[in-house]
Amino acid sequence: MPFSAAEPLALGFSTGSFCVMYCAPVLLPFLLGREGSTHRRNAALTGLFLAGRLAAYAAVGAALAAAGMLAMEFFDPVFSRRLSTVAYTFCGLALLAHGFAPRLLAKKCGAAIQGAGSNGAAGKTSPSCATPSDRILRFAGNDFVLALFAGLCVGLHICPPLWTACFRAASSGLPAYGVLYFALFYAGTLPFFLPLAGIPFLPKKLVFFRKMARMTQILVGAYFFLLAGLIPFAFGR
Amino acid sequence: MAVTIFFSAFMCVVIYFFGLAGSMNSPFALIYAAFMLFLFVRMLSTKNWSRYRSVFQTTLAVLFMISFIGILYDERGSMSITGTQFQNAETPFCHIVIPAMLIPLAITKTVIFPARMIGHFASVVSMLLIWFIVSVTIGRGWCSWVCFYGGWEEGVSRIPKKAKIKVLSRNKDLRAFQFAFLFFIALVSLGTLSSVYCEWFCPFKLTTEYAQITDIPTLIATVIFIGLFLGLVIVMPYLTRKRFQCSTLCPFGAFQSLCEKASAIGIRIDVDSCTQCMKCAEACKFCAIDIDTIKDKKGKPEITCAKCGECITACPQKAIDFAYKPSVIGRIAGKLRPAGTSACCPPQKPKTAPGRFFAEILEPRYLFVFMAFTFSVMISNKFVPDALSRIWQVVSGGLR
Repeated sequence: MPFSAAEPLALGFSTGSFCVMYCAPVLLPFLLGREGSTHRRNAALTGLFLAGRLAAYAAVGAALAAAGMLAMEFFDPVFSRRLSTVAYTFCGLALLAHGFAPRLLAKKCGAAIQGAGSNGAAGKTSPSCATPSDRILRFAGNDFVLALFAGLCVGLHICPPLWTACFRAASSGLPAYGVLYFALFYAGTLPFFLPLAGIPFLPKKLVFFRKMARMTQILVGAYFFLLAGLIPFAFGR
Repeated sequence: MAVTIFFSAFMCVVIYFFGLAGSMNSPFALIYAAFMLFLFVRMLSTKNWSRYRSVFQTTLAVLFMISFIGILYDERGSMSITGTQFQNAETPFCHIVIPAMLIPLAITKTVIFPARMIGHFASVVSMLLIWFIVSVTIGRGWCSWVCFYGGWEEGVSRIPKKAKIKVLSRNKDLRAFQFAFLFFIALVSLGTLSSVYCEWFCPFKLTTEYAQITDIPTLIATVIFIGLFLGLVIVMPYLTRKRFQCSTLCPFGAFQSLCEKASAIGIRIDVDSCTQCMKCAEACKFCAIDIDTIKDKKGKPEITCAKCGECITACPQKAIDFAYKPSVIGRIAGKLRPAGTSACCPPQKPKTAPGRFFAEILEPRYLFVFMAFTFSVMISNKFVPDALSRIWQVVSGGLR
């Protein structure tokens, strides 16, 4: 192995607070806004989000290690910024779709919005609610789908410590080493996500709190999609 | 009468110290001092807090704009700020950024707003100090008594006699949106380590300074600023008679609501005297009194109350007044006040004249108004005379 296992772990652990800062706008409103959030459900959603992040890291690590140092020639700040804007756009779109889909579905199928949060999308499948567009809405409004997809998008956001990891992965030689480097880096950042386990304690019975969190999710989605995603991507800000 | 003289004498000292000391030769400083003292005396003698508060807050907002833009033209020759000037921290620190900068400051030890740390009247340190003192004294009273942006909505919302759109039934949603927006701004500022509110959402760029339009994103941002100013600061306050931007978008206002626990004085509704006529709810500029607030006999407005005094003036039963809060500081302050002198409680009036006088000067309504007005003087003492002198220069012979 061309690097010590302690190195990516230490890199992740020393900069994990930045990872949480990048993830917080996506993860916090999403987790706080869920109806009937239990510990298991909260842990499952957080786990899926983190799994999505790991998958994105592994893909980046493998690709860079396979391409070798030549990839770093093209991996400049402009490229990483554009990659981030793409990630923001898709993440924002997913947050918006997840925020609006249950309402649209409830309007269309007459299902209660309350059922939407806990069940992923609105209610159980009924014959009047099984058109392709309904299925898309149900898919977009699914909590687990959003958790995984948002994790994937956030993993593509290139921050300074990730940049370091990219360089080390590119110089490692084998794709397996690249994946391992990113996996260990990822493991180093995990302790910073532990406080999220306390979220189910917070919004219990606080309807106002959940309502506010859901509004925040839509605002974050709109900001990511338009102001942090599309506009910078189109006009190079 | 004695209380009015007592507090007015103290206010004279405050105005002299902050407004006149070192500027006695300036007629504009004298006009400012006379204006503020007149308003304060009228406020105390008539007990119509909201009317005179509204006059000075609207005046301050307009004069702040004149002075600020005037200074910008003197220094830069333009209201726009270039990227280099922004990076060189040539912008004054704005209090609205405080809630967005605190978490990044705690985690990364960096200030996300590029302003001077010290050595300037609006430096980061001085504004943080003012914010802290304001929070533990008047709390969200800042929004209705001190904020030099809020005066725009205050003035516009008073133009129509009646609200054309009633938002009373949507108060809860508006409050939820304001806190959601605060949460959103705090999170994305943390995620991007930049002042997202200033970059995209501040409606008051139009009355202060804005980024030079050099590309399409800054053009889009400017369109958003104009839209927010026209929509939330002019049109909606006119239609609803509410301070709409303060009640829905301002992150500092929402943050001050959360810090409100630290302040000692709040608004109390005497549920025994209340006839549930809802005039207070209709008059409230900050959407802080709902139908449920009155029906459920909560005895106080909701968390977003800015202690503007509109409900006190509107209540025909005189059932609403300033009162000490049962918070930690409130308990300490409450102990200083003779028991039973609150407007809500059956009075046990002191028997002697000096006793009655001291009981009255410890009334929360006087102490609050005095504190709030003192902050107003502290904030406005430089820009109001400056704006008056600029107006005089224009009237008497053209621009500098």
